[in-house]
Amino acid sequence: MGLLTILKKLKQKEREMRLLILGLDNAGKTTILKKFNGEDVSTISPTLGFNIKTLEHRGFKLNFWDVGGQKSLRSYWRNYFESTDGLLWVVDSADRLRLQDCGQELSKLLKEERLAGATLLIFANKQDLPGALTKEAIQEALALDEIKSHHWCIVSCSAVTGENLLTGVDWMLDDIAARIFTAD
Amino acid sequence: MRNTGGDSPGQTCSEQQQLVQKIQCCLCDITKMFGYVWQYVYTSFLREYAPDASQGATRTTKAEYSLRSSRSKLLRGAVESSKDNIEICVDQIMKEKKVKPQKDPLFKQSLHTCVLQITGYGRLYTSVEELRKEVFSSDNAEHEAMLLKLWDLLMPTVKLESRLTKQWGDIGFQGDDPKTDFRGMGLLGLINLVFFSANHTEEARQVLSHANHPKLGYSYAIVGINLTEMAYSLLKSGALKPHFYNTVQGPAELQHFHQLYCYLAYEFDKFWVLEEPESIMQFNQYREKFHNVVKTQLQDPDVSLTMAVHSKN
Repeated sequence: MGLLTILKKLKQKEREMRLLILGLDNAGKTTILKKFNGEDVSTISPTLGFNIKTLEHRGFKLNFWDVGGQKSLRSYWRNYFESTDGLLWVVDSADRLRLQDCGQELSKLLKEERLAGATLLIFANKQDLPGALTKEAIQEALALDEIKSHHWCIVSCSAVTGENLLTGVDWMLDDIAARIFTAD
Repeated sequence: MRNTGGDSPGQTCSEQQQLVQKIQCCLCDITKMFGYVWQYVYTSFLREYAPDASQGATRTTKAEYSLRSSRSKLLRGAVESSKDNIEICVDQIMKEKKVKPQKDPLFKQSLHTCVLQITGYGRLYTSVEELRKEVFSSDNAEHEAMLLKLWDLLMPTVKLESRLTKQWGDIGFQGDDPKTDFRGMGLLGLINLVFFSANHTEEARQVLSHANHPKLGYSYAIVGINLTEMAYSLLKSGALKPHFYNTVQGPAELQHFHQLYCYLAYEFDKFWVLEEPESIMQFNQYREKFHNVVKTQLQDPDVSLTMAVHSKN
């Protein structure tokens, strides 16, 4: 029995998932996490370092890792890759100027070996803002159709209103569950 | 249970008389009891306000508790009375509690201070909340001026090359434009940063130099905004009451809140340097640790969170 199988069996028993939330600064990562957890989102300040939150959802234990997105912190992102089941990439749909930067950071992540097995959910966030790009426009700008290495899905959402957060996370859970909990 | 109703069969006249006597006796006891209770409440009320018994937070906290848990609507309402109404309110409380000003001249003054402090805290929260809700806007000339002032205060020898520049990173903002960093703290975050730099310039620059340390460094402005959040949540939860009741002999104003922020910014820096965290990624753990230190300090009725340095003012 290989190590991977043992790990899979352990996770199967606990039905536990590790989800990593990344994206540029001001994308809305912490707001998504807090809103998903039903917390107040009106008094958030920029994340330095990271936040961990464990939630129960649909009988799964979800360990969310929300890591700060500012440039000086991105070199630390790799410290959080290990055993990640799902990657939530958060995009500020209204920040057109940094869309290219956003795409580059994402494609760098997808080359990471330790994220190779992870399911990828892209949140096209801030749909409540005027001037927000549609998820189709973001899909094109980030060249998502070229991704062959990961299962991926893009969902338009608003962390402030909570719109579609559940839809996105549920898709991700289904995809991960199908992969890790049904193994032999 | 025995049926004591008047129309129960077989009940004699004398039994009824006994019953009436018993009820009268009971009523008498109850009246006496009320008398004792009233006397106790009244004297304890006086004790709580007695000016020589205690001062500062101990006195005001007791007074606040008494007023808030009072059965009198007037007394409960006193903690929310407006600034212009306080004089009248104090007179009304004295009248309601039958306290004679001639008998105890210091009482009124003492009660007046208490009510000023209690109502001031509520008003301070309202003002702070207003500033927090005001979103930083580049279209607002005052906001922009404040941001540039922050740069000049912290970096007197370096000129800002343009409004959108990577230089903002030198004072700890995240990107080219600080406007997205104020987030949920709104204008309050910027005002706090400017206040610290303007009123304790030397200390602010010293803190900034620590923040720019190659190994122990942290993002000065972003940490500042996180500390604004800490100050705000302490204020909101009521945890800052003893501090303000001890340090401000009247209603706490915005400047007192900003001073508290300065204390947090200055002390957090010392704490961070002393703790030597492995990297900035540990920020949240150390912030929580520091938050707990502050909360513990605020448990002390004699607490006074003031910067142990000389200010310009």
